[in-house]
Amino acid sequence: MSTKKITLLSSDREQFIVDEAVAIQSQTIKNLIEDTVPDEDGIPLPVVHSRILAKVTEYLTKHANYKPHNDAAKEELKNWDVKFLGKLDNNTLFDLILAANYLDIKGLLDLTCQAVADLMKGMSVEEVRKLFNIENDFTPEEEEAVRKENQWAFD
Amino acid sequence: MTSPPPLHPKSSSPSSLNLQPTRNATAKMANSVLLQDPIANPYNFTFSDFPEDVQLCVLSFLTPSEITSFSCTSKRYASLCRDDAKLWFSMCHRRWGSKTQITRWGKGEIQFKFLYKTLNRWESLIGFWRRSGNAHTIAAASSPPPPPLVFFEWGSSFVTGSKVSPSKMGTCEVIKKPFIWMSVSSKGELVSFIDPECQFGLIRDFVEVAELGVGVRDSDLIPVSVSFMGKNHFVVEESKSFLSSSSPEEKFYRKSSNFGNGEDDLGGEEGIGIEGTSPGSLSGSLRSEIYQYFANRRSPGGDRASRRQRRRERERLGRQKWEPEHFVKIVNCAPTASRPLQGLWKGICEDMSLDFYLVVYDGIGGIACRRVGDSSEPFSGYSPVFWTSNTTSSEFPSSCEEEDIYESRIHLRPPAIEENMEGYPIHAENEVVLRIMNINSSYDLVILDFKDSAVNPRLVEGRIWQYADGTFGFGFLRNNYIIDLKHMARDGCLLDAVEYCCDGGPH
Repeated sequence: MSTKKITLLSSDREQFIVDEAVAIQSQTIKNLIEDTVPDEDGIPLPVVHSRILAKVTEYLTKHANYKPHNDAAKEELKNWDVKFLGKLDNNTLFDLILAANYLDIKGLLDLTCQAVADLMKGMSVEEVRKLFNIENDFTPEEEEAVRKENQWAFD
Repeated sequence: MTSPPPLHPKSSSPSSLNLQPTRNATAKMANSVLLQDPIANPYNFTFSDFPEDVQLCVLSFLTPSEITSFSCTSKRYASLCRDDAKLWFSMCHRRWGSKTQITRWGKGEIQFKFLYKTLNRWESLIGFWRRSGNAHTIAAASSPPPPPLVFFEWGSSFVTGSKVSPSKMGTCEVIKKPFIWMSVSSKGELVSFIDPECQFGLIRDFVEVAELGVGVRDSDLIPVSVSFMGKNHFVVEESKSFLSSSSPEEKFYRKSSNFGNGEDDLGGEEGIGIEGTSPGSLSGSLRSEIYQYFANRRSPGGDRASRRQRRRERERLGRQKWEPEHFVKIVNCAPTASRPLQGLWKGICEDMSLDFYLVVYDGIGGIACRRVGDSSEPFSGYSPVFWTSNTTSSEFPSSCEEEDIYESRIHLRPPAIEENMEGYPIHAENEVVLRIMNINSSYDLVILDFKDSAVNPRLVEGRIWQYADGTFGFGFLRNNYIIDLKHMARDGCLLDAVEYCCDGGPH
């Protein structure tokens, strides 16, 4: 059962063959396996490009059935996650978030969202706007008012 | 079941595929233009390309002040940051969702932003605290009662603190008596009660009475306010407004803004009974000293019923039921990789009863271990159980002699184990010793040692044996046993904790 292979098909028709246990960490893929008749080429994931699906399967393979029972193993997995994120440029990171959301992989979604939040840490408002291409529609007075309103004095 | 976007198993025609390559092309073109700016986003990815739940997921990892910055980026995000149910729920859930049930606090009727502020503060309660004694009061008394250790933990919609004491049954069990309950009312007020005599053996019972508010007046629960003075010090004071207020509804939910005079610290419950004869004009600290004196001359315990009776009388006279008490956090209560011996431990000591120990690293390479209860002030003149100025350890066994020292000693075991505590792991005599360290048992003798080299070092010399499981044992050359120390808590849970119903029980 657990050694059954699943073929995933990226948007650019590239095949990724993984263990079922690896694939079903994605709730979406799990549902697709259960609910649909498989395509002969594999399970189509038409919004995930092979470039991203490669990253997703890399993550899933590492995390499949991985239940760290001691601190050292937890640490090892954490370090692996850090290294995994370190290899991503921002575009890939953003795409990976969309893929994790679509594929419903909570661990990967949290990991990548945290990575984006970490990017934002220490940034000025202007830098955050630049990072996400947010158009400033405030007048300086309005911006100041919003800042005051949301002031957090409890840290 | 969350169904994915429309997908058909046969949808393999090129037209239904991918957005990505197009985007990549744009990315490549844009790259050359924007290359010099590392932050700039090369292919016009915008935050709004994320679905809202993903946006919230990202934001939930930010701190409140970073949220403030983000809210200033545009009108759209200012409005998202105003959305209490979305943003502040996500913020609360991210930080404490695995520890408590966010939606149950304040019966789900309070603002999550308010809850965030509250929990942000209360989070520092979680862990071990000890009641802070007034140093000279304790010194004046012949045998001070050990300052109670209080362990705070998360509940479903509250935080509780329990007094923690070693079991007298000769086991490694730790008796846990709920002592304080802190929560938020549905009106968004902080509500806390203490149960000074720990009449509720079970947290569950305490919670029931405190949550309903029903029976609070008949029970001995006292509404209190908890004021923080920095992160590692708080004061529990009776809510004075509770006593003077007439409407019971208001009484339960009044916050006190009063700060006590700070110095009062009664030696324990025993002090309470004497207050009826209180000399009214004495200053707080002097009064408490006198109480302390009398308190300690009395045999401990006393009769609960009569104490309660006295307290009722006092209540009728409109007197305070509770003197302010200060608590100080035991900050480094768990071992770390670089400080493997640090923290609170428990072990069966020489007289075969369980004792609590605190090992503190001094920051200049040394450690000292004291029984918890010896003193409220570190290095206040009470001699440590053991200490060393050099925590360098060596691999075990470093020599046959060292092997002998270890092998010839017996491990002190809970005597009750043989009579079998159900499910209690019988420890085998097979601790694997990884490392050893030299320790001393007393400061004084070492100083003597300098003056007079004839003093036998065997009087003070000892060893720590660090085991493979992260715990350790210690012993001295002057005797032939090893005291093995075990963890007090793990992952926010007290180990071997026993809650039990006291005699008499709640009424």
